[in-house]
Parts: sequence; C-alpha cells; structure tokens
Amino acid sequence: MGRPMKRHECLKEIAGTVGDALVVVCVGGTSSEWNAYRPSDGNLRCWTLGLTSSVALGMALGLPHRQVIALDGDGSLLMNLCGLPTIMRKKPKNLIHVVFDNGVYESSGGTKTATAEGVDFVAVARGVGIKNAFGADTVEEFKKLFADALARREHTFICARVEPGRGEVPPWPWPDVENKYRFTRHIEQTEGVSILQARIPGSWKKS
Amino acid sequence: MTNSNMDAKARAAAILGGMKKAGIDLIASLPDINCLDLIGALERDGEIIHVPLCREEEGVGICAGARLVGKKPALLMQNAGLLNSCNGIVTTGIQLELPLLLVVYYAGDIGDRGFARVGTATMPVLDALGIRHYLLRDVEAIDWTFKNAWVLAEDSSRPVAVLLTKDVLGTRA
Ligand SMILES: [Mg+2]
Repeated sequence: MGRPMKRHECLKEIAGTVGDALVVVCVGGTSSEWNAYRPSDGNLRCWTLGLTSSVALGMALGLPHRQVIALDGDGSLLMNLCGLPTIMRKKPKNLIHVVFDNGVYESSGGTKTATAEGVDFVAVARGVGIKNAFGADTVEEFKKLFADALARREHTFICARVEPGRGEVPPWPWPDVENKYRFTRHIEQTEGVSILQARIPGSWKKS
Repeated sequence: MTNSNMDAKARAAAILGGMKKAGIDLIASLPDINCLDLIGALERDGEIIHVPLCREEEGVGICAGARLVGKKPALLMQNAGLLNSCNGIVTTGIQLELPLLLVVYYAGDIGDRGFARVGTATMPVLDALGIRHYLLRDVEAIDWTFKNAWVLAEDSSRPVAVLLTKDVLGTRA
C-alpha cells in the first residue's frame, strides 16, 4: 500500500488552524512534532498506549464548549479499539479523533502493526456507528477533512495513512507532571476556574 | 452490620448520594451484577456525567482527561476490571499524579462465592501500586468514606480505592 504523505507534514498544515483547542497527543514522534509546530500549554502527552482518545473524550465531556483533538497512532488505537464504541455512545460534538496510521510501532522499533496487513480503521469506525469517519492519503485531503471537521461541530474520526518517519524537531520538552500542571493551569486561566489549590495550614487564622 | 432494614435500591441511592456529596461529577462504569441498582441510579441521575465503558482501562483515560479539565471523576468497576486497568492506572493516573476515585466491587470477598482468585489478588495489587484502599461494609460509613477518599486522593495526588461489598450494597447475587 502506498503511503505518500508524512505525519509531520500533516501536523504542520493544521497547527495554525486549531485555535485554543486542547490537544491530547500520543507519546513518541507525534507529540514532539505537534508541540514543535503548535507549542502550547494546551497540549497534553499521553504515555499509556491506547488511552490518547480516552483522555481526549474525558476532556471533551468535561468541557463541552471547548474543542478537543486527539492525535492518535495506529498501535495505540489497536490497543484500545473498544474506545471507539464508547466515543460513539457519547457523541461528543467537540471531539476530533485523528489517527496517524503508519503501519508500524514506531516508538518501539518499527515492528509492523496489524494495519500493515490490511486493517481499515475508517471501516472499523463506521462499523461501530461513527457517522463522520474519513480517510486521507494526501496532505491536501487531510487538510480539507480536518478543516471540515473543525467546522462541522460533530464528533469526527479521521485516519491519515502516512509513511513511517519522524520530522526534524526538538524532543518533547516537559516531564509528565510538569505537563499536567502547565495544562491544568492553562485550563484555569482560559476557563476562569480553580482546579488546583494549595492546602491551607490548620494554624491559618480565619479573619 | 447496621441499617439492615435498607433494601438494595435504597443502599445504591445512598452510595451514589455519598459520591455526589464528595463532589464526584463524572462516573465511568462497567457493570457488576451487584452494582446494577447503583448504575441504574446513576443513569437516572441528571447531574453526574455517566460514561458506560467497553473495557475498564479506557475509563482511567476518561477520568484522567476529565480531571485535567477540573472534574472530580470516579471509575466504577468490578475488581477484575481493576486488574484490566493496571497499566492505565500506573502510566496515566499515577504517572501524572492525578486524584482519581476507584470504586471497586470486591468480588471474591468473604461471603462472595465464585471469584475467590480475583478477590485474593485485589488488595495485594492495590498495595503493589501504592493505592490506598478502604473497605466499605457499613451504610453509615458511606458519606464519610467517599468524602475522605476524595480528599485523600487530592491531598496525595494519587488514585484512591473504595471497595464495595455485598454488605454495604445489600445484594445477594
Ligand atoms: Mg504507528
């Protein structure tokens, strides 16, 4: 199967279009590339293989007025295929789920995934009842599908079939816990809410 | 056990009420037969966001995402589901230092036949993960346990588990 486009080209094309969207990105090349093209405290890196789309679903349900984007990989989605029907049941209007299908477990050395043998994620997504499920093979197609998804305001699934390989970008900058604090403070600032408070000592005098 | 005159539906309502009083506002769940009344009450509740799961580990991700945007999430599951969730609990819940409430039906508890092996693994697994756990048997302890379990989760920035038993649920299955 021909895979004429690269993941980092796709990410570069959409980076300027997402506004203040919250973006959950799976660990590995995708997270470094995304954060290089769209540096933001609204980016969260997911370390658990499979949970990128689930973390994004939790955000989308928790902040239904805010656009949330999951940047997933094929190895990750294969680990948590059952997350697709769960997203379908909740139909989060503010969630765009992108999977970059490069046919390999890139972060663990390049072994083939099942998609290299013909698994069709778009057919899987449609099969579980996700109405807006689309595939892209060129950067132009991907860019168009993503722009349509942003405008649609319904849950959308996009599978971008890409060739393996990473962009020439710096590594992901933050340790996990710092990423969490930066992300949560970003939510507090942009949503005007208080999530994390320091505990007040018992000796503190109430005035 | 006290309050033995409460039926299972009233106990389920009391458990959901205890979680709500603790501030819980999103629950991801996968059913155990002993939690049917609890999940039924959850489905009828208009305030808490309910996310029915296909596999428990995805619930860890959903709860983590919800917490990161300010919700107070709980994951309701059987202890077999706790075993299904271990990687997510460690590499998302503990790794990001997130407070999550794990509400676990304790199958294989003393007096609960058929799941003795899962029951045997439950507390050692929680201990190995460094997850504090509290066994809920008494209806009168419901509110106190959930309130303080959530406070402990926030104070320690870690998941905390509450184990539900037949005693507190008033079930016979
Ligand atoms: Mg891959």
